[in-house]
Amino acid sequence: MNALEIEGISKSFGDFYAVKKLSFEIPPGTIYGLLGPNGAGKTTTIRMVMNIIIPDEGSIKVLNRRMDDELKERVGYLPEDRGLYPKMKVGELLLFLAEIKGLKGSEARKEIDFWLERFDLSDWKSKKVEELSRGMQQKLQFIVTVIHQPELIILDEPFSGLDPVNTKLLKDIMLEMKEKDRTIVFSTHRMEQVEMICDNICLINKAERVLEGNLSQIKKEYGKNTVILDYDGEANFIKNFPEIEKIDDYGKFMEIKLKEKSSPQDLLPKLVGKISINKYEVKEPTLNAIFIEKVGGKEVKDEEDTISH
Amino acid sequence: MRKILSVIKREYIQIVRTKGFIIGTVLGPVFMLALIVVPIIVSSASVEKQETIGVVDLTNEIFMELDSKLDHGDYRLKDGFRRYVLEKFEPSPGVEEVRNELRERVLKKEISAYIYIPEDVLEAGVRESAVKDPVQEEVKAEYVSEHTTDFEELRALNRALNNVVIEKRLKREGLDPQKVAQYIKRVELQPIKITKKGEEEDTAGTFMISYFLALIIYMAILIYGQVIMRGVIEEKSSRVVEVVLSSLKPFQLMMGKILGIGAVGLTQFSIWTLFGIGASVYSTSFIPAGADFAMPSIPAHVFIYFVVFFILGYFLFGTLYAAIGSMVNSEKEAQQLVMPVTMFLIVPIMLMIFIIRAPDSSLAVFLSFIPFFTPILMFLRITVLLPPFAQIGASIVILTLTILLMIWLVAKIYRVGILMYGKRPKFAEVVRWIRYR
Repeated sequence: MNALEIEGISKSFGDFYAVKKLSFEIPPGTIYGLLGPNGAGKTTTIRMVMNIIIPDEGSIKVLNRRMDDELKERVGYLPEDRGLYPKMKVGELLLFLAEIKGLKGSEARKEIDFWLERFDLSDWKSKKVEELSRGMQQKLQFIVTVIHQPELIILDEPFSGLDPVNTKLLKDIMLEMKEKDRTIVFSTHRMEQVEMICDNICLINKAERVLEGNLSQIKKEYGKNTVILDYDGEANFIKNFPEIEKIDDYGKFMEIKLKEKSSPQDLLPKLVGKISINKYEVKEPTLNAIFIEKVGGKEVKDEEDTISH
Repeated sequence: MRKILSVIKREYIQIVRTKGFIIGTVLGPVFMLALIVVPIIVSSASVEKQETIGVVDLTNEIFMELDSKLDHGDYRLKDGFRRYVLEKFEPSPGVEEVRNELRERVLKKEISAYIYIPEDVLEAGVRESAVKDPVQEEVKAEYVSEHTTDFEELRALNRALNNVVIEKRLKREGLDPQKVAQYIKRVELQPIKITKKGEEEDTAGTFMISYFLALIIYMAILIYGQVIMRGVIEEKSSRVVEVVLSSLKPFQLMMGKILGIGAVGLTQFSIWTLFGIGASVYSTSFIPAGADFAMPSIPAHVFIYFVVFFILGYFLFGTLYAAIGSMVNSEKEAQQLVMPVTMFLIVPIMLMIFIIRAPDSSLAVFLSFIPFFTPILMFLRITVLLPPFAQIGASIVILTLTILLMIWLVAKIYRVGILMYGKRPKFAEVVRWIRYR
């Protein structure tokens, strides 16, 4: 039984396809990354899973059945547009949102204390939400998502706006949840996070699936003809070599993808003496490189900016 | 159901705890009282000062007596001084010249006004031969001033002048003005209301109470409807709605909100009712027995219908306000859409006088059956007349069915609207939302 099964769903708004014939499955107890540039259709897909938007066609099975109210209690959802009741006190807000998830009062209070402690927010329990900083509100929002111990956790851009410390905290908690056999699906366009924690990914671009499957398998398929070059000097000339398929140049660091029949062993001698080589490593491509290659074009330009910092 | 209860509880506690609610509950009655008392105080405390009024008396008979009439106590200021000091102007060299001069003086503010009394005021209306119907002939004197809107002053001067003129006319005919005044003394037609139960009621106060209670229904629906609308807009603009809807159906959220805020309204009414009962018990113990003063009392059935029609009216309009809230992004945007809804509330308020005067006319019956008018107009008819129960029952059934229809419709609009951001939807779009699966 899969935690989530999506089969051929489409959604269009007027002439514009937000999602087109999308299918994927998420095995239970795994972390699944939904990748794609802005506007690719990630949020629309998630909203369809949450039954907020109804797909034009296709079917969605959450925890082996169609989404309904009872099921909502077994799913945790962090929407892309974060929002809480600004005038409510933190403790009351959590109690209310836990109650409508079906938690009983006493149980809810226990969970609230646990999670506030975990996120270092205990002192803020009787403060109004609007008094909290943005980062604290983000953490609060995450607590809201998981307080009822959902079996399936759906996170839309969970890391956006978090500092490195909280990013790590969130990542740790996600891995803990996985240990407890919970299933997590999250959307992002930041590859380094995906690479570290995802078991499976689905890459969407312009409403359609571009790539799907097990992350390590995907990387293997992309083969061993990627070279990481750490260098000093003027390396522009490399771009003109016939065996080069693609280069991502970061200035002092280059990720080079070679054409299928070329060997990294043949490239190295051509470089010796022309630039100073600090490191020459043959490896699987980074997800970033795969992402850029698959998505390609100008649309990712702004994405690269986000990724590189 | 348990989830709706959670929503109700949240709405209720969040509102009851605000300063706005506490202040509103305390100041509500004060405000109502002020609405009645302040105009009385203001009008009686209006600044009064002595005024000089010029008089051109072409009859040459009236000035003296008008002057002594205005010296009378009724026309004096509170501190005992004369309110109106008259100054006589002879019509020489000619009437027009004098009038021109007086006009100048008024404009220079040397005198505040002048009265022009034409020659024929004493004869006019009495000359039988002059016109066919002497009573119809109009007799006019003139009051000339820079501002002619102080109706208190106009009325006082008019009365004094008329008394003088009528007395003069009577004397000319050889009648005794005092005797005539006795003969034409008015008879008061006192209204006494009877009901089926056979009791006789004094109607004094019925009018006021009907008016007052209907106004309360109107204000309560308006105020609490806006609270619903603002709540929906807030949930939408703070984006919390998507989180809540991952646990609840939109319908549950909407109904919970309407019920919770309604409960706040009932709480406020209960506080006021207890306050009112307390105040009347307290005040009667101070009013000596037999004193010519009674707190106007509200009959039990009126009170029950008041609660019933408030609740029904609140639901009808509450759903509309919720729909508007879900369709817009800000309160500013909402204002335009609120207009037609507010009109449904204002129209019956404008019809109130008509209904109170003719509660049983077929037009009144018809209007009180229009669901959007029923809460105010049927209730008003009940306070004035108590229509047959069949009518009341039928109107309640129609109103309830309308409410159910509205809830069904609005839930469909709300469901889509609450997650829509950006441009305000056009009417056609809203219709499409209703047709969504």
